Formats: sequence, C-alpha cells, structure tokens
Amino acid sequence: MLQSSLINEIKKIVGKENVLATLEERLCYGYDSTPEAFLPDLVVRPDSAEQIQKIIKLANLHLFPVIPRGAGTGLSGGSLPVKGGVVLDLTRMNRILEIDEENLVAVVEPGVVTSHLQEEAEKRELFYPPDPASLKTSTIGGNVAECAGGPRAFKYGVTRDYVLGLEVVTPTGEILRTGGKTVKSVTGYDLIRLYTGSEGTLGIITKIILRLIPKPEAKETMMAVYERLDDAAKTVTLTIKRGIIPVTLELMDDLTIRCVENYLQIGLPLDAEAILIIEVDGPADLVKKQTEQVAELCRASGAREIKIARNEKEREEIWAARRAVSAAVVQIKPTKISEDIAVPRSQIPQMIRRLKEIASRYQLNLVIFGHAGDGNLHPNILCDQNDPEEMERVEKAIGELFQAAVELGGTLSGEHGIGTMKAPYLKLETGEAGYEVMRAIKKALDPNNILNPGKIFGSERNG
Amino acid sequence: MDNLARAADYLNRCSKCGGCQAVCPLYQETRAEPYVARGKLFLLKNHLEGKLPLSAKMKEIMSLCLLCKACVNQCPNNIPVDQLVLGARQKIAQEKGISFVKKNVFQHLLKNNGRLTLAARLGWLYQRAGVQWLVRKSNILKVFGEEIVQKERLLPKMAKRPFRKQVPRFLTCSRPKLRVAYYTGCLTNFVYPATGHAVVNVLRRHDLEILIPEQWCCGIPALASGDEKTAAELARKNVEVFQRAGVDAVITDCASCGSMLKEYADLLGTPEAKAFAGKVLDFSQFLSEAVSFRAGEIEVPRLATYHDPCHLKRGQGVFEAPRRLIRKVPGLRFKEMKEPDRCCGAAGSFNLTYYNLAAKIGRRKVQNIRETGADFLVTGCPSCIMQLRHMLELENSPVQVLHLAELLSMTYSSQGQANESGRGCSHAVS
Repeated sequence: MLQSSLINEIKKIVGKENVLATLEERLCYGYDSTPEAFLPDLVVRPDSAEQIQKIIKLANLHLFPVIPRGAGTGLSGGSLPVKGGVVLDLTRMNRILEIDEENLVAVVEPGVVTSHLQEEAEKRELFYPPDPASLKTSTIGGNVAECAGGPRAFKYGVTRDYVLGLEVVTPTGEILRTGGKTVKSVTGYDLIRLYTGSEGTLGIITKIILRLIPKPEAKETMMAVYERLDDAAKTVTLTIKRGIIPVTLELMDDLTIRCVENYLQIGLPLDAEAILIIEVDGPADLVKKQTEQVAELCRASGAREIKIARNEKEREEIWAARRAVSAAVVQIKPTKISEDIAVPRSQIPQMIRRLKEIASRYQLNLVIFGHAGDGNLHPNILCDQNDPEEMERVEKAIGELFQAAVELGGTLSGEHGIGTMKAPYLKLETGEAGYEVMRAIKKALDPNNILNPGKIFGSERNG
Repeated sequence: MDNLARAADYLNRCSKCGGCQAVCPLYQETRAEPYVARGKLFLLKNHLEGKLPLSAKMKEIMSLCLLCKACVNQCPNNIPVDQLVLGARQKIAQEKGISFVKKNVFQHLLKNNGRLTLAARLGWLYQRAGVQWLVRKSNILKVFGEEIVQKERLLPKMAKRPFRKQVPRFLTCSRPKLRVAYYTGCLTNFVYPATGHAVVNVLRRHDLEILIPEQWCCGIPALASGDEKTAAELARKNVEVFQRAGVDAVITDCASCGSMLKEYADLLGTPEAKAFAGKVLDFSQFLSEAVSFRAGEIEVPRLATYHDPCHLKRGQGVFEAPRRLIRKVPGLRFKEMKEPDRCCGAAGSFNLTYYNLAAKIGRRKVQNIRETGADFLVTGCPSCIMQLRHMLELENSPVQVLHLAELLSMTYSSQGQANESGRGCSHAVS
C-alpha cells in the first residue's frame, strides 16, 4: 500500500480529481481483455510527459511499480498490475497534435483511439493502415507498446512499420526523443524499434510520430468456400506466387464456421473445412483485374463457391461473418483463451494439423481463425475458468502449441505481445542468449524495476 | 426477489473486450473505466462473489448510467447491461433505501394524480407568479453554485392546466375502424400539452375512436431508481384501466413510457399485463403499421433532421417508422445527422442529477444537429425534447425542436397555422 503522504504528493502533481483511490475504482483498472485481474494500489490519470516524469521520479524514490495503461484491451496481460503499484491511465492524453499532409505524418498523444486517428487521416485522403480488431477502443499508445497488427498487416505491415518518432519518459524519469518526421534515420541504435513492442517495460510513450500513406482508391472483397483446408492454403500460396498481395487473407476453420452460422444464420456452409475472406485494394483498374485473377486462382485451387461483394452492403455481409467470430465462439464455453502464434505462411496447413491434434489429445474445444496471408493464426481455446481440471489441460495444450509454432519456424506472438500470458514460454523462442540480452537491456534501463514488473520475463512471474 | 443474482450468468459472459467503450456516451466524456459497461459488470461480479459491498461509491457508479442500451447493442455476447444496472439499483435501494425526496415523489406523488396535478400547478405558479423571475433576477441560486442555476433553467414551463383536463376522455368519428387509447405520459400531460393536442389531431384524421382514460405514471422513474415495488404498483393500475377500456391499441407519444409499458409483461408476469403490453405501440409505429398514414396537404418547406430516442430505437426497435412518416410530409426535406441514435444526455432525470455531464453529452448531439443545417429537430420523446430545447437554447440556436406528432399535425388545414415549438399552445379539441 502507498502511504497517504505519497498519495497526496501525487495528487499535487496531477490534481486530486485525477487520482482514483477507492476500491471500486481501483478494481476497474486491474483488468484487461484477458481472463485475469489484479488490484492496483492507486490509479493516476496524468495529462503530460512532465507529470509522468514527476511520478516516475517518486516511484524511484519510494520504489513502487508503475504500470502504463491505455484502453485496457490487451490480450496478453500487458497492462495488468500483477504486483500492485500505480496504474498510469494515459487515456486523458488523447490529442491529435498534428496531421502534416506535406510530410505524410501524424503527431499524436498515446491516448488517441486508433479509429479516431484513422477517421481524421481519411478525411484528408490519407491512410493509417494498422487495424487491430480492437481499433474502435484501443489507443495508439497501447498499439505501439504492444506492436499491434491486424488483418491488413499482410500487405501493409504492423504498427512498428509506421512509427517514425517517439517521445518517451524513461524508467528513471528522463524525457527522451527519438526519430522524427524523416523517413530515413540511422543515428545510433534504433530506439524506436526497441520501444515499439516493449510492453511498457522500458519507458512510457508520451508522443508518437506516425507515418501515413495515401488512401487506396478502391477495394474489392470476396469470400471463397473450401471443402478441404489444404485447398484454401493452396490459394494463399498461388496468389502470392502470381505477385498479388491482397490487403487481407482471412481464414476461418470448420468449427469457427459452424459457430458463426449458428450465431448469425447467414447461410454459411456447415460442411466446409475452410472459408477465406480476401480483400484487394489499390488503383481502381488494377483492383478490378486482380479481383478476377484471385477469383480464378480460388477456383483453380478447388474452391467450391466464390462470392464477390457487388456493393457496400454485400461487403458488410461478408465481414459480418468474420467480425462475429469472437462472439460466436463463446457459445461453446464461456472462457476464451486467445492465442496468436505466427508461422511462415507455407507452414499454415501443417500448423493447423498440429493444433487440431493437440486439441483432440487434451479433449479441448479449439477454433482456428486468423490472418492466413501473414501466417498469424488465432487458435482460441474455449473452456471454463471455473473448472480447474480443464484449465490444467488448457495450460498443457498451450505449452505444446507454442512448442509446435517454434518448431515450424514461427513465433509465440504475432501481435498480442508476451505480457503475463506467454511469459513462461519466452525462452522457447529466444533461447538462453536472447533472453539474457533482453534482461540486460531491461536491467540497464530500469535498474529499480519500476516499470511494469512481472511482464515478458517468465522467471519473474512469481518472484 | 433479487434481479441481480438472477442475472449472474450474464456477468460471466463478459469477456472484458472493452467494445462498450466505443459506444458509451458517458465513457466518451469521462474516459473513466468505472462508468463503462465493462467496469460496472466487473464490479457487480465482485459484489456477487462477496468481495465488494454495496458502498456509497457503488451506488454512485451504478447511478452513472444513462440506460441508453448503446453497449447492449454493441456487446458481442448480448449482455443486457441496462437490466443488470437496474438490478443493482434495486438491490442498493433495498439495502440502503432511496433518498427522502425520491421516496416521497415515488410513493406519494406518482401514485396520486390529484397531488401530482397540484405539484404541477405549484410549478406553474412558481414560473408565472413572478417567483421564478425573482429567483433568476436575484441570482439567489448562485449561493448553491452555478450548476443549480443551470438546472433551474433546464426545467421547462409547466402547463397551466394538465393536457388531460383540456381534452374529452372520448373522441369518436362517424365510421371508426379501430378503437384506441392514448397513453399521454406525464411530460405531455403536465409540460407539453401541445404534443398531446398534436397527437390527437393526427389520430383523428385516421377514422379512430380515441379514449384518453385516467391513467398513472408509467413507473420508469421509480424503476430506474431501484424502486421496483412502486413501479409494479403503477403498472398494475395502468394495466387495469387500459384493459377495462377494451381497445385495439394503446398509443404512446413518449419513448421512455412506451418501452416501460411494453415491459409490464415481464415486470408483472400476469396474463393481463402480457395482453396489455402486446397492445402498446409508439405513435409512429401505430401510424406506420396499424393504419395507413395520410398526411395533410399543407406544405412544410423546411429542412428536418431526426433524433432517435434511446428508448425508441434500442428500447423498442422503432427507428424506420418515424423516418417513413417524416418523408411523407409535403414540402419537407430530410437530412440524417451524424450519430442520430446517440443519447442526448437526458436519460430521464439523469440531466437533473448530473447536469454537467449530461450537458457535455448533449453538446455533441447539438453539434451533430447543427451540422445538418436543419430548421427542425424532430424526435419522439418529451424527455429528449426537454434536454434538446435547453441545450439548443444555451447556444442561441434557431433550430426548433418538435415532437413527430407536432410536425405531422402541421400538415392538416383545420389545425390552423403551424404552432411554435408547441409551448403554451392550448387550442381545444372538441
């Protein structure tokens, strides 16, 4: 617990209305979109880098943990206050400071909601592509801290590919600026890449300079239905070989299809093994041509049905199926453990086979959907967190599915981050040497282990 | 009976995805997690697990909900958040009691039409007899802070005589096709009689026999504050009156009353309540679905936009009917505003309890209205009308706020000239 004199000092920094100390309020800042929750000692809602700097200095003096938090929609536990301390809610810092149309950049504060930035960019015929599923609620700060991705990552890359500059309050309370509005920059180590995806363990991001691109002129959306999963995978490979990079190549497996159909009743085929949702964008002429080519490739790989959206309404109908997945799958069981392994795209069929084998061996309900274009799959285990015996099987299955991903040349996390959920498995991928380098960086930058302790590094989870 | 415990299953369905943040008007103004559905559900879960008492803070958090159902619509797992919040308020009311003022209003005033009429009359006297002028002129309320000054201005002018005392209880025509009852709601009765006259004027053009029986408050103010007992008593009285009237439909001009009347079936669970609830139709729904609406011939060469009351769109699923009717007004152009179904901040008496917060929510609505360049803002709920008129007045906006009935009524010739936003208008219907 924090002493009341300390709380008073924090109140002086941010104003007493921005310090939440009641049990009820603290409870509401102890969770994210994972099933876990913890209780912070205090919630502080700063408004500037300077206020944050003062709080971090206090934290180093009195040794309390500080956990930066955006909208709290993370899926790996990145903003959970696992060791109590002060949750730093950054949602008040939500100003879009500048959209520079000449240099194609946006300068924003961390609390800006991702979709707000996208709307503002699109008003100016510009485009900010990263599109995590939570984009209507999640914040840019959180997106940068976790290096969020999304369906469009296949063509347009992830958050990391758009960060040009950052302002960061370091774990010892300095304010640092790195990068800027230039596309090129090689002055010293690439600190932007270090902070992007650092999950709030190396610094608190207080300002972000983002790259924007011109908005694509047109897009087309289609859905292809497959009797065999391998045929869907073949489509992906063939499309890329032909030199076509769709914006999205979304895959839904058989159980996902059945859940969605049961939920929406929109006439999805219950006997299909896979559905692909494919979207291409770019100049109107090219998009038209590519759409025909992709449809042809789907047919050639064995798709039994292809539906090309003729208008916005039909496009919405196709995406409604994909968007309903999260809601539809919890019909099976209430607790959803959402993983986000990624493998080289050629290994997708193999990975799916391994996943199904693991699920059947542990008798678990597993649905698979995800971004087939970039090899990022979301195996979701549906279970009941009130059933300890089942949760034990879940734990074992997760260990094995991570193992399988790494064996196939893949990664534990495509876009959610390590947080607490995947911390015990980190070494599977980094190896001892990689792990030690990461630890050394953390120790060098945050000697008092102030920022977001208990994350990323598994050995600290219970320590 | 503990509605909250019964709903516990729903709490387990919340995956804490946070999707509610994107649509909650309160969250968008405060960006504070306790005020969004996810936060409230998490607190209620903790409470049911015995980890959190129903403290004063819990009471405050649970009272900070507009019951606008925007989150319910958005929730991927279909959690009836508003019902859970109501369940919590009810339990808090049972354990802690409700405030002295509310208790008196609910348990004495609402159940007694004579006293309610007297109170409205006193309100009218306050506003007409110079007391209001004195209060405003002397700035005496400033002693209590700026907020109360604004609240006092939010209160609309009371009608001199309640609407139901201005009209006969029974109106008929030569060959009636249907026999309907008109549920007037308290705001129309005591504050906006012009809306009532407009409703009657429009209905009379459609070969109907119209009954306006003695009736009671729908009970939603009591229910929203956790007093389910009073709400149920009022429901029973209303069901009895309207069932005895033997009508084909019960028409409401108030989105909140309408959604409440339709919920009587669940609230009381009796066959009579179910039969009654099945007959309740919003004014727009009735005109659009039960009869074939005929507009008058007088042109209204203006631009209108429409605000969806929460309790009409999400509460009753009625949003196409009013638009269909608006488009039938000769000469009128219609332009949809941005976020037409976003709450205006009124939320019953929320705007009185949390004036500043409601005003923030209202300002965004007003901005969306003004961006359309409309002359008329049309809607279907007197409570929204009260909030929107106040908010528009604060900005000196020339936009006129009309109940849908008032707009439709303008098209009929015997109505005389179009009434001015309806206030104080008291032409008699004989």
